[in-house]
Amino acid sequence: MLTRAFASDWLKLRHTWIVALVIFGPAGVIGLQAVNWGLRYDYLTDRYAGMLWETLLKDVHFLSVPALLLGITLVASMLAGMEHQHGSWKQTLALPIRRRTVYMSKWLVCQTLMLLACILLMTGMLLLGYLLGFGGNIPWDSLLARSFYPWLTAGPILALQLWLSISTANQTIPLSIGIVLSIMSLSAAGMPDWMPLKWPLLMKDSISTELSIALGVSTGLLVLLFSIIHFTRKDVS
Amino acid sequence: MNMSDFIVQTKQLTKTYKGKIAVDQVNLQIQKGQIYGFLGSNGAGKTTTIRMLLGLIQPTDGEVHIFGKNLKKDKLSILRKIGSLVEYPSYYGHLNAIENLETIRRIIDVPKSRIDEVLSIVQLTADAKRPVKGYSLGMKQRLGIAAALLGSPELLVLDEPTNGLDPSGILEIRELIKSLPQQYGITVLVSSHLLSEVEQMATNVGIIQHGRMLFQDSIETLVQQAKQHIMLSVSEPERAAATLNAAGIRTNLESEGLLHCSYVPDTKIASAVHLLVHDGHDIYRITEKRESLEDIFLAMTREGGF
Repeated sequence: MLTRAFASDWLKLRHTWIVALVIFGPAGVIGLQAVNWGLRYDYLTDRYAGMLWETLLKDVHFLSVPALLLGITLVASMLAGMEHQHGSWKQTLALPIRRRTVYMSKWLVCQTLMLLACILLMTGMLLLGYLLGFGGNIPWDSLLARSFYPWLTAGPILALQLWLSISTANQTIPLSIGIVLSIMSLSAAGMPDWMPLKWPLLMKDSISTELSIALGVSTGLLVLLFSIIHFTRKDVS
Repeated sequence: MNMSDFIVQTKQLTKTYKGKIAVDQVNLQIQKGQIYGFLGSNGAGKTTTIRMLLGLIQPTDGEVHIFGKNLKKDKLSILRKIGSLVEYPSYYGHLNAIENLETIRRIIDVPKSRIDEVLSIVQLTADAKRPVKGYSLGMKQRLGIAAALLGSPELLVLDEPTNGLDPSGILEIRELIKSLPQQYGITVLVSSHLLSEVEQMATNVGIIQHGRMLFQDSIETLVQQAKQHIMLSVSEPERAAATLNAAGIRTNLESEGLLHCSYVPDTKIASAVHLLVHDGHDIYRITEKRESLEDIFLAMTREGGF
């Protein structure tokens, strides 16, 4: 049933800006770093000689986390918005399908889109490093970590944004909160360890990466669980 | 009557919002093959009742039985056999009609050919590949009905399906609804705030006001409630009224010198005419005036019941 709901939700992405957003998000992040490295090529390659790949990945990561959070905010809002806009919840929920399946499907679509964005980001990093002539000595561990760990650790934010977007038709609130969170994540390094905003930064000095991931995934699933319970009990107007 | 004879049966169905009663102990009963007109003014509780039938909102009290099963226990198997259009059509504006129906088809898992079938039933085949946001309201409404028919339902629930349509659109939808029980054996529950509309398509009618069911029976029974009046136009109305009242026929003198007798059987009219002629009156005209359904409906909703 979940696969059928997913196939239905996936079809709804046609002719929307959602797919474009998933492409332009990572493209924008890579583009900005291309400008940064392109303009200051001699200075940066001189200063970070011997650790070029690692520095590039770090720079991309610095921008990709707020971009990811912003992407989550926009995609969750657009996914929910198309159901709110012309009263589609009442139509969908009067179909022979469990409400939790309907909700899980939306969550899964959102997660899948973000995963695709992260895959594009990784491809972009490889491409940029290659074009900048950093050679074949690619730090794969770091590349994979910086590409996909933020996606895993942003679970709580994604679940929260999806719940906010789905539970109210007015998208001002979820959008405002999501944008504020994205901006806050730029300075999340100084936040206490329990702050979910800090987890995608993968700061090795405070809590371990493994712990960040474990916390991110489990908290994300917990928020998802609570939002499903809320959704299944809600009256649909 | 046995419970299983009803396609839809609610028992003391009640919904309160923050202490305010929206639906009050409603016992709705619909049998197979009926077109049940659910009538009430805006805000009377029609949509709330319908939402409870579809499991969209939880009743505060009471039960819903559909196809002889309890909605609370067998929700999915019941919903599999219901098609619905609640209040205004739901659609995804960026998708065309085929894609819109496909989003539903993927969930209810019916053959792809059903999409073409329902589009042709509602006559949208020619516009099927245009984005729905460019549709007129009538077309969106028809798409909504197509979506409701997609799963070949046994029960179709249509909430105000002709709301906002122009006269030709209303006629189209009405003819479509009327054809469903005969052609496809579908039982229809259709709500409206317009009596004339229900009158023209329903076999049965339920009237709801302030959340309470005021009347529920066949349309014929409702029509029988319409009382007959006789209007008499005579040469000397005042004297004639006195004569008739003296003879025990209750007569009122209306404006323009018309005499008005309510609820008179044929024999009494005959004797009244005889009496007046005998008394030397000229009788110009005898007309019968039936209360329209509109009058009954207004009287019913004004008094809050008989």
